[in-house]
Parts: sequence; C-alpha cells; structure tokens
Amino acid sequence: MYGRRASQLLGELAAAETGQLTVYNSDTFDQVIKECNEHNVQLQSLFRKMEEQNLDIQTTRNEDYFGAVIHHLSLARNKRCLMAYMYNRAETIQSLRWKIGKKLPQEIQEKLSFSEGEYFKNHSAAIDSYMSELDLDLTVDMIPPKDPYIQIRVLDDIGEVSLGDLEISLTRHSVHFLRRTDAEQFISQGLMEEFLG
Amino acid sequence: MASGSEPWSSGVAEEDALIGETTDVELLKRAWRNEKAAPEILQFQAALVLRAREQIQLLEGTVEEFVGNGVDDLAVSLYQMDLDRTQFLLRSYLRLRLQKIEKYMIHISKTNLWNRLSEQEQNFAKRCTDIMEKHLEQSVLSRLPFGYQSILKQSISSEEDDMVPEPQLDTFVFCKTRGDVGAFQLDDTGDEMVDLVADDLYVLRYKSIKGLVENGQIDLV
Repeated sequence: MYGRRASQLLGELAAAETGQLTVYNSDTFDQVIKECNEHNVQLQSLFRKMEEQNLDIQTTRNEDYFGAVIHHLSLARNKRCLMAYMYNRAETIQSLRWKIGKKLPQEIQEKLSFSEGEYFKNHSAAIDSYMSELDLDLTVDMIPPKDPYIQIRVLDDIGEVSLGDLEISLTRHSVHFLRRTDAEQFISQGLMEEFLG
Repeated sequence: MASGSEPWSSGVAEEDALIGETTDVELLKRAWRNEKAAPEILQFQAALVLRAREQIQLLEGTVEEFVGNGVDDLAVSLYQMDLDRTQFLLRSYLRLRLQKIEKYMIHISKTNLWNRLSEQEQNFAKRCTDIMEKHLEQSVLSRLPFGYQSILKQSISSEEDDMVPEPQLDTFVFCKTRGDVGAFQLDDTGDEMVDLVADDLYVLRYKSIKGLVENGQIDLV
C-alpha cells in the first residue's frame, strides 16, 4: 500500500516519549525515499503517455490522469512524512542543547544520523554565538531560584576549589551548603546534584 | 530600583505613563509572563532589557561591596536573592524568545514578525534557518524528485507555502485586563461581544485579543 512505510516512521516518533530520541531509522527512511522516486517515475511515464496521445494534461480527465494524481499525492504525502520525521527530530535535538549541553553523551550520538550530528553542532554554535554577542550565559538559571543557597551532594571527586573567599574540598559523596550560583556550574557539568534529603 | 529616564523603545504612550508607577523588575516580569503565554513571538523589549542588565551589574557591585565591608549576612543574602531572581527573569525571558525562534524560524523570517526581534536575535534566526535548511536539504530534499525539493512547498504545484510551521494563534489564553477596555469584539463578524472591565480575568482566544496584548491593555497570565 502506498504511504504505509512513511506512516511507520511517524509512528516511531509518536511512540517515543516527548523529548526522547529514537534511533535514526535509516532503512525505512531510505525505502520511503525510494518509494518517492518510484512514484515519480510512474507519474512521469503517465504524463508521457498522455502527451503521446496528444492529450492536454490540464484538461483531460481520463484514467491516466487520475493515476498520475494518485502518484503525485502519494509522493507529496511521503514528503510530508519524511519532513515531519526529520523536523521533529531536529526539534528534539535542539532541545538537547538546552537540557544537556554542548557535548552529547555517546548513547545519544549513536541515535543520530550524520546530518543530525552536524545539525546539533551547528545549532549549538549558533546559540553560543548569540550568548557571546550578548555576553550572557543563558544555559544557567534554568529553574526559578528559591533560595540563594542550596544543599548539594558531590558526585565525583572534584578536589580543592576556591569559591569566593572560601576554600572547600569537594570529595565524592560529601554534602555541602553552597551559594546556588557557585554550585550551578558544577551541576550542569554533572559533578554535583541538588541534595533534597 | 526604578530608573525611568531612558527612552522607551516601543514608544507607546500608555506604557510611558505606567513607567513611573512600577519598577523595571515588575515590567520585566510582565514582559516575561506575556512572552511565556503568547503563542507567537512578541516585540523585543530592548530598553527594558538594557536597564535590567545595568541594574543587575549595579546590584552585583553592591553585593560584593557588602561582602567586602562585612555587612550583615542576612542583608547580603536578601540582596543576593533579589539579584538571583532578576537574573533568572532576564535569562528566562531571552531563552523563551530563542526557543520560539527555534520553533518558528522560517515563519518568523518571512513575515513582519521579523521586526520584533533584536539585532542579535535576527542573527541567531538567520543562522538557525541556514542550518535547518542545510540539514533538511541534505537529508531529505536533495533526495526527492525534481519538483518536490522546496522546503516551503509540498510540490511545485502548490500555490502557497504550505510546509511552514506556524504558531497556533487561535489557542486560548488566560489574560487580565489592566484598564477598562469596554465592549470588545471577539470575532470579525461581530457576533460575539464581551465587556472587558478593569482588573478582571478572562479566558479568550489569543487571536482575538492580540491587538490588546501588543498595545499593553491586557496582560497574559
């Protein structure tokens, strides 16, 4: 049936949780592209047939014309599905820059196509250049602040760090009470977490 | 914290009158809330952002000075809290706008919404669009048959651009009137009228109150 594969692609998108990426399905994707080109071949040959019979494509309404219309519509539908697949994935990829940061973990990178990997890098660079034009880091302060100080737990050995006027030794699993602004950079790097216990 | 001396870029007379009454933080909060609730991107508050950044710098200086002079910790932490909140508002405001640009970049760049962006946002939107086009081009469009390769149209036979994601303007929003608006027409036909009185809450379609949001007569919540 025409267009079934393309809807399978979108089914994958719909089944994934929002904000989560599925593995890029290059097999199905390539097959749909192939389908598109087959539709086009059929479409062109029907048009050629009509031309050979000296029929005006604009006005003739015979079986060849309607056949061509079906191929055209299937092609357009496949295109919409392919674009929706790529575009929605691209939107999720954009959101990763805000949620995870500049460097994507291996398991996410494996899910991306080559072009998507490039897209992430370029898009990330566009955000960076906006932030440097403004001289303001927008990737911190993601949640509204409640208290200027927070309790944090250290997830990895960080060592001696000087925060403002205070020297502090951040060893793994230790719990500290820090200024939120100081802690935030470590939290975004995954070296600390907010300790809510 | 209020400093109302700078020129107000959007130049709306009503806004000018209100500036004396409320602080920049309040104004920023309002701009942030409107931006958060509106489905489309709103006018960039250039002067307000500039003032907010100046005040943040000033406040940072004050906090440092206090710490240096050994002022009471409680006072310092109150100032710090104020500073944190303002910074969050500013960052979140700018971030919300970037996210809208990410979402509707093509739509924005071909309509007059473009003029609502700051210069930096325009640069960002331009870059984003280029990157997105390149990505879609190389992964989908260049592999499709001739006549189906446009990013804006489904095929060569489409008369209008029918592939561009646009914000949904007829979504419902919660809004609060700032002053009496009076009888207000909700749709083009004039069948639905509503009397908007001051300081009251309404749930209306964004599309119908768009104009009121833009000229500051109504706030989104």
